Amino acid sequence: MMRSRPVARLHELQLLVWVAALSITGYLAVVAAASGRFAWLELVVPAVALAIFGLLHIFLVSIGFRGDQLLLPLAVGLTAIGFILVERLAPGLLLQQLSWLVIAAGAFCVTILIPRDLSALSRYKYTWALVGLLLLISPLLPVVGREINGARIWVGIRGIAQFEPWELVKIALVIFFAAYLEEHREMLSTPPRRIGPIPVPPLPYLLPIVGMWLVAMLVMVFEKDLGATLLFFGIFLAMLYLATGEPFYVVVGLLLLVGGGFVAYHAFNHVAARVDVWLAPFSSDLRFDTGYQLTQGLFSLANAGLFGAGLGNGMPERIPVVWSDFVFDAFTEEVGFVGALALLALYLVFVYRGMLIALRAPTTFLQLLAAGLSFIIAFQTLVIVGGNAKLIPLTGITLPFVAYGGSSLVTNFMLVGLLLRVSDITARVRR
Amino acid sequence: MSRTIAANIRRLTLVIAVAFLVTSIGVGYWSLVAADDLNADPFNPRLIAAVRDRPRGRIVDASGRVLAASVRDADSYRRRYTDRSLAEVVGYASFKYGASGVEAAYQGSLIGQDPSDLVGQWRARYLGVRTEPGSVVIGIDPKIQQAAVTALAGRRGAIVALDPKTGRILASVSLPNYEANLLVDPAQQDTAWDQLNRNTDKPLINRVAQGLYPPGSTMKIITAAAALENGVNPDQKIRVDDPYQADRSWGDYFVRSSSGAHGDFDMSLAFQRSENIYFAKLGLTIGGAKLAEYAKRFGIGRVPAVDLPAAKGQLSNSGQLERPTLVADTSYGQGELLTSPLQMALVAATVGNHGVAVQPHYVMEIRDPSGGVLRTIGGGAADQVIRADTAAKLTALLVAAVEAPGAFAFGARIPGVHVAGKTGTAENPSGSPHGWFVGFAPAEDPQIAVAVIIENAGQGGVDAAPVGGAVMRAALGK
Amino acid sequence: MEITFAVLLWGVRIAFLVLLYLFLIRAFRTLQRSLAEERVTMAARSVGLAVLVVTLSHAGGPRVGERLPLRAVNSVGRDAGNDVVLNDDAASAKHAVVSFADGEWWLEDAGSTNGTLLNGTRVWERERVHYGDQVQVGRIALRLERVQ
Repeated sequence: MMRSRPVARLHELQLLVWVAALSITGYLAVVAAASGRFAWLELVVPAVALAIFGLLHIFLVSIGFRGDQLLLPLAVGLTAIGFILVERLAPGLLLQQLSWLVIAAGAFCVTILIPRDLSALSRYKYTWALVGLLLLISPLLPVVGREINGARIWVGIRGIAQFEPWELVKIALVIFFAAYLEEHREMLSTPPRRIGPIPVPPLPYLLPIVGMWLVAMLVMVFEKDLGATLLFFGIFLAMLYLATGEPFYVVVGLLLLVGGGFVAYHAFNHVAARVDVWLAPFSSDLRFDTGYQLTQGLFSLANAGLFGAGLGNGMPERIPVVWSDFVFDAFTEEVGFVGALALLALYLVFVYRGMLIALRAPTTFLQLLAAGLSFIIAFQTLVIVGGNAKLIPLTGITLPFVAYGGSSLVTNFMLVGLLLRVSDITARVRR
Repeated sequence: MSRTIAANIRRLTLVIAVAFLVTSIGVGYWSLVAADDLNADPFNPRLIAAVRDRPRGRIVDASGRVLAASVRDADSYRRRYTDRSLAEVVGYASFKYGASGVEAAYQGSLIGQDPSDLVGQWRARYLGVRTEPGSVVIGIDPKIQQAAVTALAGRRGAIVALDPKTGRILASVSLPNYEANLLVDPAQQDTAWDQLNRNTDKPLINRVAQGLYPPGSTMKIITAAAALENGVNPDQKIRVDDPYQADRSWGDYFVRSSSGAHGDFDMSLAFQRSENIYFAKLGLTIGGAKLAEYAKRFGIGRVPAVDLPAAKGQLSNSGQLERPTLVADTSYGQGELLTSPLQMALVAATVGNHGVAVQPHYVMEIRDPSGGVLRTIGGGAADQVIRADTAAKLTALLVAAVEAPGAFAFGARIPGVHVAGKTGTAENPSGSPHGWFVGFAPAEDPQIAVAVIIENAGQGGVDAAPVGGAVMRAALGK
Repeated sequence: MEITFAVLLWGVRIAFLVLLYLFLIRAFRTLQRSLAEERVTMAARSVGLAVLVVTLSHAGGPRVGERLPLRAVNSVGRDAGNDVVLNDDAASAKHAVVSFADGEWWLEDAGSTNGTLLNGTRVWERERVHYGDQVQVGRIALRLERVQ
């Protein structure tokens, strides 16, 4: 990263002011509804969060950053909504989330300061693959690994901090795929032979990718996390399509997914349970058992109506583990379908902006990187909102920026940092 | 290379945008389209839990006896139920398992959001300010209810008694029942819920409105009504020879007379002896279409307009009567017929009420906290189902079915009162036949109509008639 | 008092929803504006003086066929601060300068380690570049093209 004279980022600043207003208003409503009075003192927490957001802006200005001005306010706005919801649903976790925000902000700055044009990321792609692999396996290790809620996807020291390494793995995976596919793109997309309509890719080039994917799948089966498996698979397919433009890979991939899902349904209880609940959460034997969380979530949505019950006035707290799995339903219940649409639109703008950055990026690697990272946000949002609304089976994927959870907050801020860096490089190349 | 990465990115973005659209529609479906159903779902505990910190309204019967009230329990209010015989009617209101019965159907009134009070509803939803709930008064008459409980004690089945003129339900017993207090006790609710749901006798079902049985010979009332209104002379004798089949095309299928009868029957004798072959011939004479029409008029295959969940039953699997053997079987109450006791009580009530069907209702009125009447339930549209003169003829036939010498329904007789009634014996795959009795009294100006079903009764309808008689006797104070 | 509070609280709740939409609209406007601005720069480029078309590249470098727009004076090199950024190990941080003067294009080496080639020969001093000429920096080759 080249340092240069400070540059004003007025659009960003303007949007951050809106975030501040939004954040304070929402927080005030939640606190007032809970305590029965307007407790101004309680606004300290959102104020601190806003101060951190402001510092990030000042940081970007001071290093003369010339990248995009929209993504940071969007990410920060969604995070602010997340803080409102943590205060609403699990006030006890608020300080923890605030400390994670500090770490996330640090991680963001470090990402912004990655030297030069990110080529280091592409050059050491196998290192990233290895790091990702180690991170992925780490929850299975005896000392640091933790099993929480039936999924062995955590590392940490009991009582101090836990981290979900797969959150980081998703970024490592995108970097690796971007670098690898860039290198072998021609080979993958111009198959020398076709058997009928079926392109036969040169296997030596596909093998490392499939291998990486297989390892991810296997580890996920052992760590029992449906969501991460789905996410990795989604990233894999999307990146392959982006690099090759070959719908055949996507079709095969989807068939693999359906086939794998079918096998997993019969082979693994935790998968079968999820699918059964999805198919019939209201059936008499699931309604008050494993289907309870989903039915309560749907009751929550039903209570929303067009404009919602009002912040702090619904009762989403009836949904078990609402603050990490069902924030979307909780938010919808209190701000209504209208509010939910706005939230989804914010994500869509974020993704659209990310994809534009990818379109403009000067090198193939940067294009693939930016598109892959944007895809992560889109995919996570769709999968968890779809799960909350019973469109697809529920998975443990978090709603980016909004859901409670330190690992995902840190990773997603790094993701924003990388996207900003790509746009900064673009801006500098194409002055 | 044919496509650039840029084109791939554009295409992927388009796919993502479409996926967002689909997801939004999904969210809209639950929050707007399916919302009413989910909010009214009896297993949705939100409304109940929303008011756990304050008492719900009371449920009382016509005499003022309290059937359900809230008692303070640590930091919340818990329900206490006093009459187990009304468990399926009053229902339960559990923080975990939702609500049933009147507790569910009149939830709004019980938490200070009566549907008639729009301002109150609005205040409750948006300001969290609820008006103090009053009470819900159900029409159950404790004297008749007690008689019904005693008469059915130790058996499985159901009794319903109602006022043929107003539709007010006076007694409602469904056995086996359950202890609702266990379902609202946090310490015992889970095991109780589990056991009740595993119990194959289905104690949670209100057999009166939700239990479905073949109506057996009680169906003959409808067959007779259809015949009388389609030019059949009740005094015309019809030859009965057991066993009977209309022609050779029936193969080895025969209609059997329960008494193995050979002789000439008019309609009155056929009612007294409950002669299947007579009614089978009657049904074949008027035809399946007419029979189906009258069954529908009497509410078979349609959910009764009652204020608690009710089953609709069926005339046949297809809803039509195409085959002659099915017409014959349906005419005397077997075939593929399924009805609830409430539906059959309404058949009796309609005949007693000069052919006019009224809408049944459990709840009589909603009262405000000071006891003033907020609104009354019932008095819905009444339909002329059959002509008054047909009803009068049927009444005479049904009186004879109870009072004539050798009549099967003799067990329902009450000294000094003319009782109209009909027994029924419903063949079923689960063991010995179910016994039915439907009737009303006094025949000339009915105060009460009843339907009794005793599951796997040893002798079918003969067992049920005295039970019906006991309930009517209690109602008439005899 | 209680009602006043409830009304105020509803005011705040509605304000939140309104602000949510205002924020969304602002974000959308910013998106549109940046789109427009980028289109302007693209347009400026297309009516600009000339472009360098990448004819030879490698993994990590610019795409082959990419058109790098030129201004009056352009620094070429590995550093992100250059006008033309060439991600190549063999390129120096500030490698060469391409400039337009007196109606002609000129190429000048900026003291690079590995040198700059014009049509295969190393450039030692400022040399004239014609449309269609090949410029090689490190492992990346570029062709000067006129913009239509």
